[in-house]
Amino acid sequence: MKRERQDKMENKVIVEVTDMTKMFGSTVALSEVSMVVRTGEILGLIGENGSGKSTVTSIIAGMQKANAGKMTYKGKDWEPVSMIDALEHGVGMIVQESGTVAGITVAENIFLGEMSGFKNKAGLIDRKAMNRKTEEILTNIGIDHIKGDMICGSLDFQDRKLIEIAKVMSKNPEVLVVDETTTALSQKGREIIYEIAKKMKNENRAVIFISHDLDEIMNVCDALTVLRDGKIIVTFSKDEFDEDLIKTSMIGRELKGDYYRSDYDGSYSDETVLEIVDGNLGNQLIHFNLSVHKGEILGVGGLSHCGMHTLGKVLFGATKLEQGKVLCEGREIKNEADAMKRKIGYVSKDRDVESLYLNASIKDNISVGGLDAFAVKNFLIFSGREKRYAQKQIEDLSIKCGSMEHYVSTLSGGNKQKVVFGKWIGRGSEILILDCPTRGVDIGVKQAMYQLMYKMKKEGKSIVIISEEMTELIGMVDRLVIMKNGMITGEFQRSSKLNETDIIQSMI
Amino acid sequence: MMRKQNFKQQVINLTPFMGLLLLFAVFMVLGTIKDINVAYGMKTIVNQSIVVAIIATGAVFIYTLGSFDISLGASAAVSALTGGMAYNATGNLFVAFLVCIGLAVMISLFNSILASVFNLPVFVTTIAMLSVLNALVLVLIRLNGTGDEIAVPSAAVKPLDTIGFKLVVLIVYWCLCAFVFCFTKIGRKQKLLGGNPICAKLTGISDKKMAIIAFAMAGIGVGLGAFVSIVYAPTLTRNTASSVGMDVIIAIVFGGMPVSGGARSKIQSAVIGAFSMTFLSQIMTILNLNSGIGQMVKAAIFLLVVFVATFNQRNKMLPR
Repeated sequence: MKRERQDKMENKVIVEVTDMTKMFGSTVALSEVSMVVRTGEILGLIGENGSGKSTVTSIIAGMQKANAGKMTYKGKDWEPVSMIDALEHGVGMIVQESGTVAGITVAENIFLGEMSGFKNKAGLIDRKAMNRKTEEILTNIGIDHIKGDMICGSLDFQDRKLIEIAKVMSKNPEVLVVDETTTALSQKGREIIYEIAKKMKNENRAVIFISHDLDEIMNVCDALTVLRDGKIIVTFSKDEFDEDLIKTSMIGRELKGDYYRSDYDGSYSDETVLEIVDGNLGNQLIHFNLSVHKGEILGVGGLSHCGMHTLGKVLFGATKLEQGKVLCEGREIKNEADAMKRKIGYVSKDRDVESLYLNASIKDNISVGGLDAFAVKNFLIFSGREKRYAQKQIEDLSIKCGSMEHYVSTLSGGNKQKVVFGKWIGRGSEILILDCPTRGVDIGVKQAMYQLMYKMKKEGKSIVIISEEMTELIGMVDRLVIMKNGMITGEFQRSSKLNETDIIQSMI
Repeated sequence: MMRKQNFKQQVINLTPFMGLLLLFAVFMVLGTIKDINVAYGMKTIVNQSIVVAIIATGAVFIYTLGSFDISLGASAAVSALTGGMAYNATGNLFVAFLVCIGLAVMISLFNSILASVFNLPVFVTTIAMLSVLNALVLVLIRLNGTGDEIAVPSAAVKPLDTIGFKLVVLIVYWCLCAFVFCFTKIGRKQKLLGGNPICAKLTGISDKKMAIIAFAMAGIGVGLGAFVSIVYAPTLTRNTASSVGMDVIIAIVFGGMPVSGGARSKIQSAVIGAFSMTFLSQIMTILNLNSGIGQMVKAAIFLLVVFVATFNQRNKMLPR
């Protein structure tokens, strides 16, 4: 099965990894992995969460060191001491989670540690020049709405990600690692990445592209390496790409059962459980009315800045409306505590920042949602009860972990997301608001999550899925609303005839 | 391998406690070799540690939130002086006790409410409060004392000036704090709020409510510390509890508390840190190290403890 890629003159090996092994405590993250990255090629890396994709690329990019093995870059031994060192030598990486500093400007983020290059004659930093250069870098990669003097923390997740991309690209790297970055981006943001990758390929440079989106990776990449349990399973060339074969290689078995739900019965109860009444909030929500019904999976789609992510927070009481109100079974939701009392749960798009306590254990992260459920007299916490509560969620959701006492930060993206689900499902949430719930989650976990959502619907629970993945929305929801500029511009009922073209018409 | 990992984690968690035991052992050995009255030395150590240990135990709640309060020492001084005045006015030690506790809690709550109203980081309001309280100490002494001190008759506090009483105060208060910290929703929410305030908000945890509770718990500790100060040194001057504020900060970190607070915060850090510091000082004295070298040795050990306590965490932050 493994294909030997032809050694063409223009496709020289630029990075070679030989017998790389990486351990995290007792966990083998990489086991004698060998791979090559060639110039003029976009190499895809795919595999389940925890398969070792990010580990191998983060070692190549200088973020951490391997326990064993050898690397070469441009034919010479390659042992970068840090990501900065790697980037200075031509290997850049855009990481999965946020990598910008919130309290400083966009320009300061891009030139972090290099601001001395903008010193004027008086020895002071010429901020105007730095901002101008920043905007030039941003424009070069197709970003014109972000200014150099903006404070990074005031920007949304997508824009912060775009700044990271600009920062890396300002160094004109020979090898670029894109680690599940596109999952955080809207279509426009994704197009920027695709353009960068194509340009680098045409300039005979190399790209390593990591994504869980099979369609995307098959479109973008020239070759595709599959990892599983820290080992290279197979490498496909473009002409060998086959969706089913890739899926089987990834999970080591055939994907059985339905991926999305298979029925087209979009029925749900008439009973309204959650609604927003004439909600106004800047340009994010304008005279907005929306009802969620019992037993309904409601999808909300649109381009990234359409207001849908704000809508999720408003429905959970985390963001206050300027006008209008959010009602749950007739009672107003004024804050997050109100929402939780009404058994509403919220899964944020920005998982590591907004949904998890990274320095706390898996147990702590799960049980925080269920304190009301297992605390004796709603006050006392007994270790045994708490452990049983957390263990049930770990088992029900098949969270892969050595111990519930391990830090949640040691888990892979998919298992982290399962922990977030466990936090809300365990406490018996009747309404779940899920903002990009399958971001950075592998195909096997995605399937499990989709089936879980469908099961919850069948149990009469209500789910709001906010997503930029059209296929996910079409595949799962009973009703889909499309937002643009803070307003609903389209509404679709579940149907076998529903297609992306109709939906996109409402978006743009 | 997993068992080995867990063992390593346990060892790291126990490092501050093992450090305390080591210091105790060194003190005992040196004391015996140098023919020092070890029992008297131990009594001195308890007397010197107890106020810091009590106040630091309550302050753990504030540190857990990822914040800190530098006005705790000044608050203890004002509470002690006011408690002393209350005794002199009423002749009732229990009234003095209640005044110490009540005033300290009120000052603490005022800090947290001020921070809530103006939406400021709590440590900012405590900086302002430190100046106000230091000024208040001078005013109280000038107006109500002899000009230099406020003295409570030593005969009045003598029955309480025992190691047993002071240890009982510490143990009872520590047990209360440990119970709230480890076995209630409040303690859990405090830890998670300190770990990630954004996530805590999105899990329905009220930062304002938790800050008020944390400061109230700390206030009780300050009040108890103030009362024990009156019992131990009934002549109250502008120097009463003057170094307590800084000692509390050092003790908490010395005891293995993460400086950023969060889920790994430990209630025992305060007591371990307070006693470790005093043992270290006594060992320096026994070794006749001048104060300059002693301070440097303390600083080096302080850095070592923080390094060891955070070592495992730093290793675990790598991505997978």
